[in-house]
Amino acid sequence: MADQLYLENIDEFVTDQNKIVTYKWLSYTLGVHVNQAKQMLYDYVERKRKENSGAQLHVTYLVSGSLIQNGHSCHKVAVVREGKLEAVKSKLAVTASIHVYSIQKAMLKDSGPLFNTDYDILKSNLQNCSKFSAIQCAAAVPRAPAESSSSSKKFEQSHLHMSSETQANNELTTNGHGPPASKQVSQQPKGIMGMFASKAAAKTQETNKETKTEAKEVTNASAAGNKAPGKGNMMSNFFGKAAMNKFKVNLDSEQAVKEEKIVEQPTVSVTEPKLATPAGLKKSSKKAEPVKVLQKEKKRGKRVALSDDETKETENMRKKRRRIKLPESDSSEDEVFPDSPGAYEAESPSPPPPPSPPLEPVPKTEPEPPSVKSSSGENKRKRKRVLKSKTYLDGEGCIVTEKVYESESCTDSEEELNMKTSSVHRPPAMTVKKEPREERKGPKKGTAALGKANRQVSITGFFQRK
Amino acid sequence: MTTLTRQDLNFGQGREAGPAGPGAGASGPAGFLERATGLCPPAVVADVLCEFLEVAVHLILYVREVYPVGIFQKRKKYNVPVQMSCHPELNQYIQDTLHCVKPLLEKNDVEKVVVVILDKEHRPVEKFVFEITQPPLLSISSDSLLSHVEQLLRAFILKISVCDAVLDHNPPGCTFTVLVHTREAATRNMEKIQVIK
Repeated sequence: MADQLYLENIDEFVTDQNKIVTYKWLSYTLGVHVNQAKQMLYDYVERKRKENSGAQLHVTYLVSGSLIQNGHSCHKVAVVREGKLEAVKSKLAVTASIHVYSIQKAMLKDSGPLFNTDYDILKSNLQNCSKFSAIQCAAAVPRAPAESSSSSKKFEQSHLHMSSETQANNELTTNGHGPPASKQVSQQPKGIMGMFASKAAAKTQETNKETKTEAKEVTNASAAGNKAPGKGNMMSNFFGKAAMNKFKVNLDSEQAVKEEKIVEQPTVSVTEPKLATPAGLKKSSKKAEPVKVLQKEKKRGKRVALSDDETKETENMRKKRRRIKLPESDSSEDEVFPDSPGAYEAESPSPPPPPSPPLEPVPKTEPEPPSVKSSSGENKRKRKRVLKSKTYLDGEGCIVTEKVYESESCTDSEEELNMKTSSVHRPPAMTVKKEPREERKGPKKGTAALGKANRQVSITGFFQRK
Repeated sequence: MTTLTRQDLNFGQGREAGPAGPGAGASGPAGFLERATGLCPPAVVADVLCEFLEVAVHLILYVREVYPVGIFQKRKKYNVPVQMSCHPELNQYIQDTLHCVKPLLEKNDVEKVVVVILDKEHRPVEKFVFEITQPPLLSISSDSLLSHVEQLLRAFILKISVCDAVLDHNPPGCTFTVLVHTREAATRNMEKIQVIK
């Protein structure tokens, strides 16, 4: 009678409600010991398969045993799909245990839903999580709250220290002496990911994910925890820092939930310098941003070609930030920016990284004497690039204020210029182009605006002598 | 078909919605609720919904194999692992779409958001419908409300992950699109705004 009841329960969960039934979830739901839950699941699978061989049932198993890899002996615990069960079993030297992990109707593509299934029920039973568990320790007694808060701080510090150490040492094992992972690299994902995430770190992490999903091994994440800070540097620009911090924290919690062994990638050391340099460059380039906000980088043909899409993304983000800052700046001021080609080279984080000192002089060179323009090399007068704001009435009757660059001579000559920008020569009938144009255009048709600009230049030039 | 209920977090504020409800009942909790409502304006609700829809769309694309699995990466949301795409253009497309939906969500003009999977001939093969409705005012604290909402959204994620059991395989070469169904008033309001402009 009781046998039938639990079988019916499981049938209802799996078939009618389309749930994923893990042994842990079942033990909490029915209030039975985990070993009994495992047995129930096994019975259900056997009966169901006998009754109806075409039943849509996917089963995952937890396999544990000892494995000899590269001369090292290690204990491996893995959650595998039914199809891969025999293969994994054959690799183990000694199979310590096999039991049903979960039953579900759907074919799962990765192990995420298994964790999701257990998460809520475990959270609601947190106080008595070992009530039905086979893992018991008499010495494990809850601490007093005051003790636990101070110890958690110590743990965080030591953990951060450890993770940075292990990154530096490139040690990715628990128990001190695990073998490097056997890579089951699938070429197709690597190729696809290579198209838009060319950083080696992304690839190794992706292949690591692939190995995990293929064998459905739920591996422990101290190595993944090492990767998470690295990932955070790269991906934070895409997904936001909050998500990355949570990801780091969750990996730590996953370690506690699934006590399993790491199978790890040895190539983190290669990625370390690459990760460090973009991060460093991004920081230095961010400092230079306020200076560069009003510089029109599109004019410069000297931009180093960006090597991969990720750097393009970061550049887009920086460009976006610049655009936002542009209207906020005070339009009444004229600002002088000396030419600084070195700053642009330093801005693109492509290896080998250009040294950061070129960035530092950028803010400091404002008071320095302006450099001579290459195009006006023959001209003995010094010219400097000046940011001016022009206000005029356009064709629609709107007053438009634009910031444009003009080259003006330091000697303040009247001959205005080959160097006038397009805003000056825009006749009122044309549509207004709000974005700044190329700096060095030939002289356009002189209009009244040109004369006006002449006068403006001469007036304001007086105030710029510092 | 799933129903996503838009939790109205402006509980207890005693606005135009007649009697204030829980706020008027007791003086102690009323003060807390009035302070708490400052934390949950419609913008926050729209944010939560948009974040969830983004995760859901990515997960649907992963589970239904609209794009190769190689572009997806495991990330964390609501304390569980979810698969999100790394392809910048795809991400941008999804974000832009939801960016447009957000103002409608804030005004509660959205009736449902539908993710449609189309085959090569642009015929719909599958639809994932997220119905958005406004429930009655709730009388629980904002902390437990948020964790409750998180739990429910986790359940959504889980349901999407196992939808394979009830769906057939899609033909190769599928694409997807996102449709937003608004309530009638929204269309009139939008037309009004257009006329004024």
